[in-house]
Amino acid sequence: MSMGTGETVNDRGSIPTATTSLGYARWRRLCKKELLETLRDRRTLGTLLVMPLLVYPLLSMALNRFVLSAGVTTSAYRVGVPSEEQGNLIKPILDPQSNPPPPAVREVFQDQIASFELFVVDSRTNETAIGDEPTSALLRGDIDVWINNVNAPERRDSTDWQPDGSLRQIQIVTREGDPNGQAARQILLSRLQWWEIKQFGGSRIAVDVVTVGEPSQSSVLASIIPLVLVLMTITGAVYPAIDLTAGERERGTMEALMASPVQPFALLTAKYVAVIAVAMLTAIVNLAAMFITLSVSGLLQTITGQDGLALFTATAIIALLGLFATFFAAVLLSLTSYARSFKEAQAYLIPVMLLSITPAMISLLPGVSLAGALAVVPLINMVLLTQAVLEGNIPPVEATLVVLSTMGYAAAALAVAAKLFGTEAVTRSGGVSVAATFRRPVQPRDRPTPAMAAFVVAMLIPIYFVGSSVLIRQVGRRSSELTNGGSENIVGQIGLQITSMTWSAAALAVIFGGVPLLVALAGRCRLRTTYRIESFATVTLAATLLIGCGAWTMAHEAFVLFANVLGGLDVDRITRMQSMLEAWTMIPPWIILVCLALTPAIVEELCFRGFLFSALRDVLTPWKTILVTSVLFGLFHVLTGNALLVERFVPTTLLGLLIGWVAYRTGSVVPGMVLHFAHNALLTMVGHYHRRITWFGTDFDNQTHLPLPWLIGGVTCVAAGMVVIRLLTQKTTKIP
Amino acid sequence: MDGLNFDVPAGTVYGLLGANGAGKTTTLRMILGLVRPDQGYATVDEIRTDVDPTSVKMRIGFVSATDGVYPWLSVREMLLYFADLYRVPPETAQTRLRELSHLMRIDSLLQRRAGELSTGQRQRVTLVRGLIHDPPVMLLDEPTRGLDVVGVKTIFQYIETLRTMGKSVVISTHRLDEAERLCDRFGLLHQGRLRHEGPIESLRRQTGHQHLVEMFFEMIEQ
Repeated sequence: MSMGTGETVNDRGSIPTATTSLGYARWRRLCKKELLETLRDRRTLGTLLVMPLLVYPLLSMALNRFVLSAGVTTSAYRVGVPSEEQGNLIKPILDPQSNPPPPAVREVFQDQIASFELFVVDSRTNETAIGDEPTSALLRGDIDVWINNVNAPERRDSTDWQPDGSLRQIQIVTREGDPNGQAARQILLSRLQWWEIKQFGGSRIAVDVVTVGEPSQSSVLASIIPLVLVLMTITGAVYPAIDLTAGERERGTMEALMASPVQPFALLTAKYVAVIAVAMLTAIVNLAAMFITLSVSGLLQTITGQDGLALFTATAIIALLGLFATFFAAVLLSLTSYARSFKEAQAYLIPVMLLSITPAMISLLPGVSLAGALAVVPLINMVLLTQAVLEGNIPPVEATLVVLSTMGYAAAALAVAAKLFGTEAVTRSGGVSVAATFRRPVQPRDRPTPAMAAFVVAMLIPIYFVGSSVLIRQVGRRSSELTNGGSENIVGQIGLQITSMTWSAAALAVIFGGVPLLVALAGRCRLRTTYRIESFATVTLAATLLIGCGAWTMAHEAFVLFANVLGGLDVDRITRMQSMLEAWTMIPPWIILVCLALTPAIVEELCFRGFLFSALRDVLTPWKTILVTSVLFGLFHVLTGNALLVERFVPTTLLGLLIGWVAYRTGSVVPGMVLHFAHNALLTMVGHYHRRITWFGTDFDNQTHLPLPWLIGGVTCVAAGMVVIRLLTQKTTKIP
Repeated sequence: MDGLNFDVPAGTVYGLLGANGAGKTTTLRMILGLVRPDQGYATVDEIRTDVDPTSVKMRIGFVSATDGVYPWLSVREMLLYFADLYRVPPETAQTRLRELSHLMRIDSLLQRRAGELSTGQRQRVTLVRGLIHDPPVMLLDEPTRGLDVVGVKTIFQYIETLRTMGKSVVISTHRLDEAERLCDRFGLLHQGRLRHEGPIESLRRQTGHQHLVEMFFEMIEQ
């Protein structure tokens, strides 16, 4: 080796030049090592197992006491009886004066004994104190419990009747999942027991307990579970996060790690997987401990309103747990990567733990629900989604947004963590400031880092969502104003279509053009190499054009097929599409072309096959890069403001794969733009001229399959173009 | 750092000497790519640190006196982990592990938890760790710091082994007596500059002093 300007002396050549990718098997082994290291640590096991085993039984004792005493201190329970006579039979049992509870009970409750109020609810005569049928009175919550004395006066001859004229059998009816009713029933049963013991010295009366109504998911569960999830995933993630990052420094292993050729991002993702795993394990152990203690102590029914958890709820909770863990593990890692020691890391994490409970509290406020911008506010959105899932009422658009934006935030946090991780070992000169971490690099770079790509995606999701929502709302308002105007304002509608089209294009350019550009400039990336604006063989253009001309037929088929798989589009969507197509026929074609073909072709290609492609190409194989950018491309087309256009996912991703391949083979972003433009232009022009396109015998619309000759032509175009590109780029093009 | 220029041929040991803060560790860090120099580069196997830092890292073994271990992993797990970081194929890693643990007498420790090792055992494990990927270049940052006589002897034997293996070895140290016994060539660093460079005879001619210690004091007084 040599230092300075010296020449090389050693030439062994036995070690291969570094390939960019670490390899999946190897990365998996890195994950395994992190997991082993943290799971063998007794301190991890402590938080994982001991805590829940101790905490929940104690907690449930406290809760039990709370629930019982709460039941006693509420105002009187309302008891429904079928008649005055039956009420008189029950009364001495319920009245604490005539049937005083044992001294022990009085002592425990400090003489605060529950009282009962009797109402006559008669279904036969309709002469009722409250209104109508006992069941509906129960279901409405007018009464807490309905006592149906089986030995009614008219059935005196029945065997239910004791010879001495007292009760022999009673039926107690409560509403399924009503905590008040259950408490009332509990107390009623114990009073009955005291009374029996006093009267007969033992149990004589047969009690028939009945519940009516559907089990309703109680909101108690919906408000407790999100908080528990937040707390438990954090508790589980904190220790491994500190140990696997700041701990490396304390152990003196950080330098050796940083001296190795592995990318900090790969190391950190392995640590990330381990932290998520431990966090999820902790949370699952906690949840299990919680449910076991609750069901053993009989509180589960009071809280959930049923005997157990539905399978769906349980699965959903586990899935949500994954989401929470994904988020917290990344956030914690970004903080602990910055810390120099265990102590410092702990100091950073305490405020984070406190802060993370606040949004969970906010989401418990009345009137706060998963809608609008709240769907992209970190943490609050997750808590609200959990509530929505537990209440069995999941808004699909918002739920998708929550998942996507949370993953985006996690990716951004992970990117920050990767940037921070190991900086201390590298500089060693004492403190590393946050500002230094985010300072622009001194030397310009050719490509953005994967961390920058993650950051861009994380930024695009919320910005794009807010942007497109605002736009759609504005257009919607204008549209209804025009409709309310009375006369069919066709000119106005077309004007509105043009305006919305232009604004969409502008928003696309600003968001998908601006965000990557800002990040590239901040990171001092050379724009030509970042966006892959490279020269390419001119002949490939013709081939790309050919692919573009054929691709739209395949995209259309994929759309129709996939839409059918999804069960077809709803009538509303079809009507809207048809009216949009109608409007299109009247919009000048050049406006359609500029807004829906040219702008997307340039902006989206620069973003997906330019910025993201070059950033990911450093760490992924070509095919994985193409796949990841295509799926992102597909996802962003699904996500549009007020609706999830799921049926667009498959065709757009397929198109992304095709363009990605072309962009990879040609080594430049430009041919992909041409392809994208040709594809969009043809698709939109078919829309514009759809009335005139009848010579193939097709009555074109968005729902029908294309005629076979069109399809065959399209596939031939694509295949021919691909063959040409494959041949042309085989040897001539240097593939970056 | 300024005016830094030296070669380390295969099978030679180069001593980077200097007082605390002279820039020894910084030099090693620049070779490793952990510190980016404003100007200049190091070359390993014709690969420049500023062009392909990852490939350079793959060819360097790094051992420091402050090196720690993963207390909850077994010695074997830890060493194989580092083999993975250096992308050594798993079968090759097993073979290397066998050879090196025999060489450094850690065979009996492989199944033990690294946290249970004594200081001397830990040191030997760390030395094996630096060689697990069979790098042509070894950088040792103050390898004898804080070690007892036995520990120092282990390091001396280790460096001799490296020399016979044909490695290019760079040692940073302020122990001039040790360096004089170990190294073939020397670089005397002071305040970030390389003041004298070459084999001991050449240094003697340059400075007119017989021993490194005298050269060193003269350099500081200048």
